[in-house]
Amino acid sequence: MEELRETYITPVVPLDFTYNYRVGQYMERFLNSLKDKKLMGVKCPECGKVFVPPRMFCGSCNQKLDEWVEVAQTGMLANFTVGHVVLEKGARLAKAESPYVLGLIKLDDVDSLLLARVEKVAPADLKKGMRMKAVWKEELAGDYSDLDHFEPA
Amino acid sequence: MRNVGIIGVGYTPVFVSKRRDVNIAEMISEAVDAAFRNTGLGPEDIDAMVFGNMQTFEGLNLPHLWASEHIRALGKPIMRIATGGTTGMSALHAGYYHVASGLHDVVMVITYEKQSEGDSQVGLAGIITPEIMTMLSLGIDLTGGTGMGGLGGGSAGGVSFQANSYLNRSGATIEHIDKMAALERRNAALNPYAHLKDPDATPEKIAQTPLIAYPIRFGHVCPTTDGATVAILACEKKAAKLADKVAWINGLANCASDATTGNLIEGLITDPGEQRPCMIAAKKAYEMAGIEDPQKEIDMAEIYNGFAHQCLMFMDRLFLCGEREAHVLLDKGELEITGRIPVNPSGGVVSTNAIGTSALNRVTECALQIMDKIEGGHKVQKDVHNAVAHGWGGLMQYVTVTVLGDKPRKR
Amino acid sequence: MENKVAIVGVNLDSALDIEKSRERLIFDLVRGLMDDLGIEPTDVDTTIFATNDFLVGRTISNVFEDSPAGVYMRDESKVEMDATNAVMYGTMRILSGNYQTALIVSQGLCGHQVSPYLHISYSLNPIYDRQLGLLNELSAAAFQARDFLTKYGFGDDLMHAIAANSLANAALNPRQARQLPDISPQQVSESPYYYEPLRELHCYPPTDGGCAILLASAERAKELTDKPVWILGLGSSMDTYYIVERDLTVAPSATKAAKRAYEMAGISDPAREICFAEIAALFAHQEPILAEALGLMEASDAAEKYQSGETAIDGKLPINPSGGALGGHPIPATGGFRVAEATLQLRGEAGKNQVKDPKRAVVLGQDGICAQQNSVLVLGI
Repeated sequence: MEELRETYITPVVPLDFTYNYRVGQYMERFLNSLKDKKLMGVKCPECGKVFVPPRMFCGSCNQKLDEWVEVAQTGMLANFTVGHVVLEKGARLAKAESPYVLGLIKLDDVDSLLLARVEKVAPADLKKGMRMKAVWKEELAGDYSDLDHFEPA
Repeated sequence: MRNVGIIGVGYTPVFVSKRRDVNIAEMISEAVDAAFRNTGLGPEDIDAMVFGNMQTFEGLNLPHLWASEHIRALGKPIMRIATGGTTGMSALHAGYYHVASGLHDVVMVITYEKQSEGDSQVGLAGIITPEIMTMLSLGIDLTGGTGMGGLGGGSAGGVSFQANSYLNRSGATIEHIDKMAALERRNAALNPYAHLKDPDATPEKIAQTPLIAYPIRFGHVCPTTDGATVAILACEKKAAKLADKVAWINGLANCASDATTGNLIEGLITDPGEQRPCMIAAKKAYEMAGIEDPQKEIDMAEIYNGFAHQCLMFMDRLFLCGEREAHVLLDKGELEITGRIPVNPSGGVVSTNAIGTSALNRVTECALQIMDKIEGGHKVQKDVHNAVAHGWGGLMQYVTVTVLGDKPRKR
Repeated sequence: MENKVAIVGVNLDSALDIEKSRERLIFDLVRGLMDDLGIEPTDVDTTIFATNDFLVGRTISNVFEDSPAGVYMRDESKVEMDATNAVMYGTMRILSGNYQTALIVSQGLCGHQVSPYLHISYSLNPIYDRQLGLLNELSAAAFQARDFLTKYGFGDDLMHAIAANSLANAALNPRQARQLPDISPQQVSESPYYYEPLRELHCYPPTDGGCAILLASAERAKELTDKPVWILGLGSSMDTYYIVERDLTVAPSATKAAKRAYEMAGISDPAREICFAEIAALFAHQEPILAEALGLMEASDAAEKYQSGETAIDGKLPINPSGGALGGHPIPATGGFRVAEATLQLRGEAGKNQVKDPKRAVVLGQDGICAQQNSVLVLGI
């Protein structure tokens, strides 16, 4: 009898489904306020922390969050990284066209950090604690990309 | 072994097609809150959590991670379980073993599905994507949905083979399936947590719905639902402290056969209507619960039926009647809420299917019937001492069974 | 939890691009394990899978794993998270008295077939982080690395030393996928940046692999092996999802998980009582952070510990003598690999990676971004 040989037929299956994520009322209000160049957050009645973007619960206090606050658009650079790669479709790792800067911004009076692109500063000049300000897109659409990036204030 | 009981249940306020007003994490939080409200407990009382859903339906991997705040899981052990249609009951079983092992005393089991955010048929077809793609790449024509493609997951194509097999073996007819569907839609109308409700459903009305693949009609098929269900489990000592009424998990089992339906195994072509795993699991669960004659001792059943015929088909597989008897009991009215052996007083999966919750909802319905805490008018008319809940899924080959009682199992 | 549940056998296999289907891999792992122990799949009471539907590309991925794992008309369930949790579930089932044996099966083919980064990408908040597209596990790990280095005033050279320690161990270990013989901190420092300060060799490699582990009750273990490795303690815990609200230089959920596991095992001074650690640190800097959470060292001493060789295989407290997750990360089997490697060590069967006479080990598996969820097991002989 002929010996069974394992073969390697490898069909490519690019799973590409469409999902419709409801953002919920908290994120909806946040996105809508971007149209007016406003950053909205929620404050926990127990620990007093302010979260941006907003969400329904403070898990550590077991509190529903319903006090809305408009927050400052300035803050300091709490952390940063220079990206040399990007994750393309299918989360495949690829080299970035050119290095880019991502920052975690500690907005004044906000307790969570905001992840954003940082521009107008050379990677070598990046320093934790630098003052930063929000820069908006010219045309606002109530979309995630309205807040374009942060740059030194 | 430690006895484990269900001490509380929480549902989202509604189970409907589309919850547009909340996101996934927010929707789950509603059921968590309801469970806390119904038991008077808070996050500090929960030792560990079990979380389940079918993630390809929402395209969200490990959703418990994002929902950490919303489900009040910070600092807690949490285990994610996913076994397909049975996920809800598999999660409950994991919760059971958290307590029965002696490692935890009070455990919260959280399940959900928000099917409006994805495509359920794509999710189900995903079970056999690799096979379909391989066949396509080898030049096998699958157009028309009549080939292997029709066997995907819970699609009506695959299930029609099962239904025909059942009708053939039992002597039941398509009219019995119509009748069963009508019964469940009427039960659902009495259940505030059901999705498809029709207080005036009749077999004739169901029979007018279009045929999908004989003998499956549109009226026999479950909807896709958004909803979440939470159950709180406790050991005997804690249950005595925390709850006025307890539904005891006295027996539990699961069983899987082979996924490749239609293959030759042990000299036989596997038959999707045979459902031997259900008999194996049921026998084991009854034995553990000390149930010797299920036909006499089981007061009601909740059977997982994405399609209406499955309720009848699984009745004999759960030893609740003889092999050719389920449709006869149906004709006699014994399966109604007022009957001798009420089946699916909740309205069943055929009326409400947020998949991750579906197998857990079978258990919670039994538990609430035993605890006499049913909301709405679907309380069965007799005292419920023992009930059996059933979950079905995988690729039509995986079954879970849970036997519940109003008294804890004798050790 | 003294001598109630034992690991009686392990089998594992990994490669950067394994030439096997998932089903074949599972069959080989389980068949091999059964042959080692001289039993058949029908001798197994329950099987717990740890696989992930996203990574398998199939809904209800356990369905097609049943047959190759020998599950036919039998009991099984699936834990969809790191395999350490499947080991915990198997342990619970045996502790309940309902089962005498539990087979744990886990596999992930993220080397070639799917991107390993898919795993975390698809677990991100779909209504914000995924829409924004800036956060991924690599950029998050880079923030964590910078926070860690800044907090203690360490330079990048510590990351190179940690990675070199793991990678050198991995090169000795035939069960590891990434084989870089004669690796030096210098070579690590020359690997390309992903996100600064994170370089390629600070990160886990895309890996194919799987493992099978058989657990048994004390009574059954006696019949199956002369060298049982006991599960002495276990614990798990979860932090918040929001990395923008976490102090990334500490891992409170790992601390909590370890506290539970150590209490169960009766360990009060882990740094003295634990002989070695197998930690699923996916990035070099996570190793000291998680080792601190496990009570094995102060993270502030990391430079001294790693540069003095204390963490090497022949050191005072070997960390990842197997080579750890930098040697291979077949998601979600990675924690299972740590359990299996620790088992081989405790049985004295770890070959060139063998630590001298170990009695007790701690194992950590993780899930989520920046180790949001951690699971800890204490093993001993």
